[in-house]
Amino acid sequence: MADFLSMYSIQHWLASCPQGYLAGTEFGHAPHEREPGLVLEDPLLREQAIGTTVQLVVGERCALAASSGLVNAAPDEASKCFLATQTLDEARHVEVFSQRLQDLGVKRSELEDTIRQFANPNLVRFAEVLLEKVDRKDFVAGVVGQNIVLEGMAFSVFEMMHAGMQDVNPKFAHTLSGTIADERRHVGFGENRIGSLIAQHPEKKPEIERMQKEMSYWMLATFADSFRNSPAREEMRKLRANLSGYGSAPAKWQGADLTALEPAEMERLLADTVLKEFKVRLGRIGIEYQTPAQP
Amino acid sequence: MVDPLEREADDAPRRRFLLEETGFDEVPPKYRRFYRRWQGASDRLGPNEAICPVCKVVIRSTRELREGDRVYCMPCMSRLVLVRAGDGALEARVAY
Repeated sequence: MADFLSMYSIQHWLASCPQGYLAGTEFGHAPHEREPGLVLEDPLLREQAIGTTVQLVVGERCALAASSGLVNAAPDEASKCFLATQTLDEARHVEVFSQRLQDLGVKRSELEDTIRQFANPNLVRFAEVLLEKVDRKDFVAGVVGQNIVLEGMAFSVFEMMHAGMQDVNPKFAHTLSGTIADERRHVGFGENRIGSLIAQHPEKKPEIERMQKEMSYWMLATFADSFRNSPAREEMRKLRANLSGYGSAPAKWQGADLTALEPAEMERLLADTVLKEFKVRLGRIGIEYQTPAQP
Repeated sequence: MVDPLEREADDAPRRRFLLEETGFDEVPPKYRRFYRRWQGASDRLGPNEAICPVCKVVIRSTRELREGDRVYCMPCMSRLVLVRAGDGALEARVAY
């Protein structure tokens, strides 16, 4: 156990992350990379990019509040150190996605109003369920909610977005690849640390299962809003066809070509992937997955 | 009962593999050759490779992997044990 926990060190984080995949980057991407001109020039594409990025900022602000709040609830020094590194990761994510909003033309003075305008209320409810556990200093429930449910969702969402952006927007894809690398550590901590703790606290299981069910519902409601209310789908598709590199290779994720999917199919693919991952991850640590209600 | 052919294979010396960098940069430089990014369902693993079920990174060894081997996924810091899955393939399971 001592060796296992010693990996949660600041030194390991420094060598892997700032001195590894983030070396030479600015706000998570290469300094010369820019948003594609068409995204900046076309009002519809720009608004969609802003709307999507706002959800990422909202999710990352929740993760920042949760990971920093869990530092003082952690039962050992190694976990405190890991959560301190995760806190910095999440703060970085908030910063890089907020910077993207500014790259998309949102003035710094308009940032908070823009976030308020576009933030999905279901995603806010999702965050509130988690932060309630964190506020009560409930370490086991907090880590399951943060590092398995929230990070598990982020892991799949970022991977899907990365697959979709790789050809059409290398700058944003580069930013996403750094956050995916961070998420690997976060989900690993969630499973490994809680996998050993949950056996010591079996009485926590029912409450954690209820939390997972509730968070999953708000997550599905967020996906439903995002995909079903996608504006002017056909026009968007035409505009995307003009983006440099589009069509050169299909955007493959989970065996599907994302560019060929209808919004409802994409929503189903993402929801199924995330829920399946929840079930597998929770099952590994001895928590029974609860099927959420359909929004 | 263990299939004699399988037992013979397990008793055979393990094959050795030369690992080259694949561009994986999520761990300190001296460990990078031991990992690579998974390319999805069509990605066929070599006899010296196992996929981490937690973070989906491919773990690579300098020697052939076999049932019972313990491997470490540094990108997500998971300790794994290799087991024989129902379809006969090697599968990594997390050891908590």
